Amino acid sequence: MRRLRGFGSLLVIVIVAASALIYTLVAGNKPLLGLDLQGGVSVVLKPKQQVENDTIDQAIAIIRQRIDAIGVAEPEITRQGDNILIQIPGVKDKERALQLVGQTAELQFRPVLANVPVTPQEATTTTSGDPAATTTTVAPEASTSSTTIDPTKTVGGLPLDVCTSGLSAEEINAAGQAILPQCKDGQLVGSYAVGPVALTGSALETARANLGNSGQWVVAPTFKSGDDGIGGFNGIAGQCFTKGSTCPTGQLAIVLDGRVLSAPSINSQSFKADQIEISGSFTERTAKDLATALKYGALPVEFEQQQAQVVSATLGQDALHAGLIAGLVGLIAVAIYMIAFYRVLGLFAVLKLGIEAALLWSIISWLGANNGLALTLAGITGIIVSIGVSLDSNVVYYEHLKEDINHGRSIRSATDKSFVSAFSTIVKADVASLIGAALLWWLTVGPVRGFAFYLGLSTALDLLTSWAYMRPVVKLATRSKFLLSRPRILGLPAEKTQERANAKSSNRPNAEVSQ
Amino acid sequence: MSKLGRLNRGETNIDFLKWWKIGLAISVFLMVVSVGSLLTRGLNLGIDFKGGVSWEVSAPGVSIDETRTALESVGEGTAKIQIVGTDIIRVQGPESTPEHTVEVTKTLAELANTEPANVSFSTVGASWGGDVTRSAIRALVFFFIAILIYLTIRLEWRMAVAALVAVIHDVLISVGAYSVFQFEVTPGTVIAFLTILGYSIYDTIVVDDKIKENERFVGQSGRLTYGQMTSMSMNQVLLRSINTTVVSLLPVIALLVVGAGIMGAVTLEEFSIALTVGLLAGAYSSIFVAAPILVWLKEHQSKYKVIRERLQAQGIDIAHASARVDLLGAGVGSAAISATSTPVVGNSVSAPASIAAPSGVIPPRPRKNQRKR
Repeated sequence: MRRLRGFGSLLVIVIVAASALIYTLVAGNKPLLGLDLQGGVSVVLKPKQQVENDTIDQAIAIIRQRIDAIGVAEPEITRQGDNILIQIPGVKDKERALQLVGQTAELQFRPVLANVPVTPQEATTTTSGDPAATTTTVAPEASTSSTTIDPTKTVGGLPLDVCTSGLSAEEINAAGQAILPQCKDGQLVGSYAVGPVALTGSALETARANLGNSGQWVVAPTFKSGDDGIGGFNGIAGQCFTKGSTCPTGQLAIVLDGRVLSAPSINSQSFKADQIEISGSFTERTAKDLATALKYGALPVEFEQQQAQVVSATLGQDALHAGLIAGLVGLIAVAIYMIAFYRVLGLFAVLKLGIEAALLWSIISWLGANNGLALTLAGITGIIVSIGVSLDSNVVYYEHLKEDINHGRSIRSATDKSFVSAFSTIVKADVASLIGAALLWWLTVGPVRGFAFYLGLSTALDLLTSWAYMRPVVKLATRSKFLLSRPRILGLPAEKTQERANAKSSNRPNAEVSQ
Repeated sequence: MSKLGRLNRGETNIDFLKWWKIGLAISVFLMVVSVGSLLTRGLNLGIDFKGGVSWEVSAPGVSIDETRTALESVGEGTAKIQIVGTDIIRVQGPESTPEHTVEVTKTLAELANTEPANVSFSTVGASWGGDVTRSAIRALVFFFIAILIYLTIRLEWRMAVAALVAVIHDVLISVGAYSVFQFEVTPGTVIAFLTILGYSIYDTIVVDDKIKENERFVGQSGRLTYGQMTSMSMNQVLLRSINTTVVSLLPVIALLVVGAGIMGAVTLEEFSIALTVGLLAGAYSSIFVAAPILVWLKEHQSKYKVIRERLQAQGIDIAHASARVDLLGAGVGSAAISATSTPVVGNSVSAPASIAAPSGVIPPRPRKNQRKR
């Protein structure tokens, strides 16, 4: 067993790489392709004004709702500083997607005309909001009733899946009167017939959630002074308090982006601007959510479209194919060069690329499946570039080996000795690359980040394989008597130990006289 | 013995002291051209940096004139129209409304006889490119500082400074090439420039590491000036530099020729031109820029200045670097360093080992890590 000491890492890395690859293939994981490779829409939005953190988050939530409404598989919405990066792969109606994400959402106060039950029109099920229960039944022919019955809609005419599909701007503002849904966690929980917009969020100063006197969570909005603020609010509040014809239910709905957040009853004729409390069965979370929505409404984030990119699926695929084929051709050329130059050692270097490729493919696929990290064209370039970085480690080591052997060291002793020096060089150089990649990743935006990530990843893999694979595999090769006696096949110069021993008696070693 | 064979054994005997002067002239010339071109012609910035809209559609057989005629009807008659790759039509116009963008998209789809969904377009606000550039420059500055600190710790500050100058040299020349040939600068190009930094630093570190190794053995023995020792180190790492550059260039050239040239993927072209230029510059600068600067800095250090002056006083040729030093002794532990200097064209004096050990010469330091082997 002593003979195998030091080769454990070789075994481990080969097994790890092979099993990672097998796992990836069996699990069917594939790298998630970026928009530039599979087609889709990518938008960068920048707020026009300085905004607070939670209002940006609110804006992101609104954008997410809207994109979900177009029925896209995996939209990715991320914050980069104050900017919002929205990536929608494979969307069909690209123009609509572009339009939707850029619109500013408005907070409205609207009197509630009636509570509309959310049972389906067919009314075969007693519970609400479960479209699956009704879509399977056949819609009966319209009977004597003048309105046709649509089992996919509620009594109020809302689609049952309105919470995920959304309403158009026309539907929300139709003739000043609309039926709007109330959603909770994507489920339709209620709907309201509301009157015209009485007040918008601009009347608000701010809002906060706190614990009320009774120990319950309450939301306390603060209105601006004057007719555009608290005056306007008191106007509609008075109508609701008296339950007049404009507000028969006495409830005032708070609507954000076409959804009713809350419809509190008005309990007083008039209010002071900073002494309003919305109470109800709030939990800490729901109270804070409502406060955030009100704050957002006070100062809705207006976005400027910084960059929008729409990539057609065909052009994206062409780029992918070209990148892959070019990468393959480059790889073959590099393999031929390395093997021609370093023979068996060159073959080891190519195998090292293979191990790195297996690990890289598995990691990229895993990240794609679990973290939504997409592989972009910039990333592919980073990987192709890293072929050179990886092989350089081999070149550094092999050249060091050759030099030591030329200086009279035996092949076997040179393999260990050279590795120590060469690996120190490799670590220095790779760490510099890693520093660069990390800084690029942290400090830049957009495509540069993807590139930096893949460059950093493959550099780290190079460090790993240099130590765990290159060192033992070369050592293993020098165990072979066959290769050791034929250094040319191994890609190394002949040992000079013998010559040197002879030369020691004379003044100068032969090798250097002959220059 | 063939030259290639000598190269293969790291036994080349190139006098880099002489070549550095030529290299200096070339570098200065290229940098003057680059800066001059940047100041007068500037860069051909893509819409990502200026703001605007760019459409791309695969339209085999459609000419630029046909495209222009079709676009006149939607008011884009003055747009910049190119055929990129083999059959992709690219139209670039100023910033406009989303409605107008859709209109142009439809027109192009009709022209290319395809669905509007097959037309790619990208609109960029004028401030976006500025944001990207600013963040890239900020990253660059931090990168420079980090590398400076890192190399100072791992090697020494003189090497760090020399490496940094080499990197700046590379970027300047690469950007200069983009200005001279007016290639379009896109975010892809920016990425490629950043890659160049990595390569250049990487290459310089490998060379510096070799110099550092030799410095221990030779520099302190006082038989070679720092310049001669560096030149010798260059000879030893020459094959590595060549091989590394070849294996790095092959995939990039494949991107350029196969990906961009034959298959017409435009984005690949953007990356690969910059990478090709930068790779060549990076390999060149580690040998011809970083090394001479390091030598210059080092020979102002009193230790090496003393060696240099003493060697000069002994009448040993220090203007050339053809001295070959067998480092084996130090490597194997027998501590025997033999230095010979082959006569260089006429007037130099050879220094056989016997006279190369005058009193006062620092004896070669025994190797520190005398490991078992």
